[in-house]
Amino acid sequence: MERKYLYVDYLTCIGCETCQTVCDFIHDGNPYIRIYVTENKQYLPINCKHCDDAPCIRVCPTQAIYRDEDGAVRIAEDRCIGCLACLQVCPYGAPFYSLKVKAVTKCDMCAERREEGMEPACALMCPAEAIQYGPLEIVMDLVRERRAKNIPEHQRELTEEELRKSISSGFRVF
Amino acid sequence: MRGMKFSFLCKKKPQPTGKRIAIVGAGPAGLTAAGYLVCRGHDVDIYDKMPEPGGLMLFVIPEFRIPVERVRLGAKELEEEFEVTYYPRTKVMEGERLDEGDEFYERVIRLRELKENYDAVLIATGIWNVRRIGIPGDDLEGIISPLELLFWIKGNKLGYVPDEKVPELKGRKVGIIGAGLTAVDVAFECNRLGADVEIFYRRTIREAPAGAYEINLLRRRGVKWFELVTPKSVIGENGRVKAIELLRTRLGEPDETGRRRPIPIPGSEFQVPADYLVFAIGMVSTPPVNGSYLTVDRRGRLVVDSRHMTSVEGIFAAGDVANGPTKVGRAIKDGLYTAVAIDKWLRGEL
Repeated sequence: MERKYLYVDYLTCIGCETCQTVCDFIHDGNPYIRIYVTENKQYLPINCKHCDDAPCIRVCPTQAIYRDEDGAVRIAEDRCIGCLACLQVCPYGAPFYSLKVKAVTKCDMCAERREEGMEPACALMCPAEAIQYGPLEIVMDLVRERRAKNIPEHQRELTEEELRKSISSGFRVF
Repeated sequence: MRGMKFSFLCKKKPQPTGKRIAIVGAGPAGLTAAGYLVCRGHDVDIYDKMPEPGGLMLFVIPEFRIPVERVRLGAKELEEEFEVTYYPRTKVMEGERLDEGDEFYERVIRLRELKENYDAVLIATGIWNVRRIGIPGDDLEGIISPLELLFWIKGNKLGYVPDEKVPELKGRKVGIIGAGLTAVDVAFECNRLGADVEIFYRRTIREAPAGAYEINLLRRRGVKWFELVTPKSVIGENGRVKAIELLRTRLGEPDETGRRRPIPIPGSEFQVPADYLVFAIGMVSTPPVNGSYLTVDRRGRLVVDSRHMTSVEGIFAAGDVANGPTKVGRAIKDGLYTAVAIDKWLRGEL
């Protein structure tokens, strides 16, 4: 299956907390994406980036961390020994140990939802369209399209033709 | 672009339960609650006074933060895939009160009427009034409510507000008082329309609710930032704003919010000329009641219990009308959990 990306665009994020809210809702109060606020009030949603060359996969002594068929970095809870080596090497500090599950847990790109043919909830609900999910080229294209909207000088009257085109990028539903 | 998927919890409409729910207010809380409730098989009708669903996300928050199509397509999906019925331009009210955006509604329905005709009612009418400052001259021509200014600008782009409603701002001096997200949004839009914008704040950039990052973005675009000043009066000429009289402040002991309290310095008055003034100093909840039908708190917000239910059994409240003003995500959160409570209550589990 084609590798999927879950990309959070910090320049587009408005810090509204919707991603954290819906993630919290579907994971019984343990959101896998959390908003951190910097001293000057920049809002940064942090979750697992599902890195291509994931340091956590390399460091895990029990091979509990693997990549699934959509490209999500996943944790096999039964193989996790809770040594937190993955947290040591993660540049984002994304993995966290759950006392309830007795294993490291983190964003799994909504694995259960993907099994039922649904997409990650944060990407579906983000009002700012700062979270994109899908194959790389499509994600990149959507990010560029969205970024362009943040340049106010680009906001001018559009023609009917442009208006029709502006509704979708030509890539409809993945 | 795709719309927000308010029904993110299911793929298609399940077996109908036969229960009917009326939601008042088609903003983030109302639409998200609708998304949850249709996924649980209930039939949802949404009433809103504006010409189309979306609430502040569509009519007030600038396009570069939340794209219009993102909200529009999301609301449309609920209508097309989940048979949600919208009643736009319909104000639900028990008693009377003037709110901002009232020029858009064409029909009024009483809240009691909805209560009789539906199995449950959810109020998610948000914050559609602006806090008044109460200083001499604050009713002069040229003083614009931040909410009004933002929905004139955005409503004009959406085709609901005629051109002559939007003030000609090019080259005009606009003074904005306040440093919350509404203030920075007003500053951004006025700057984009060519105005000479200055923001006045009674504390410093460190305490500003909108944060130094957003404010510095504006400053880089030419907006002037003036801190440690508080308005004393508005100076007029022939009934129109001419200038604002300000007092310098210094910061004292922290107040209940933990931020240092601004203390005006007597005798430090000075004036700054202005063509328009926008007091963005806070917003007020606008529940669809004025009177004793539902209990409201000191700040006009609906009082809800642990079931998210108001003082009348079967009428629930979610979002800014109960805990506002906050953020879109918190309204969505409250909408979701209130919808869970409504679903349980309808099934007799609560």
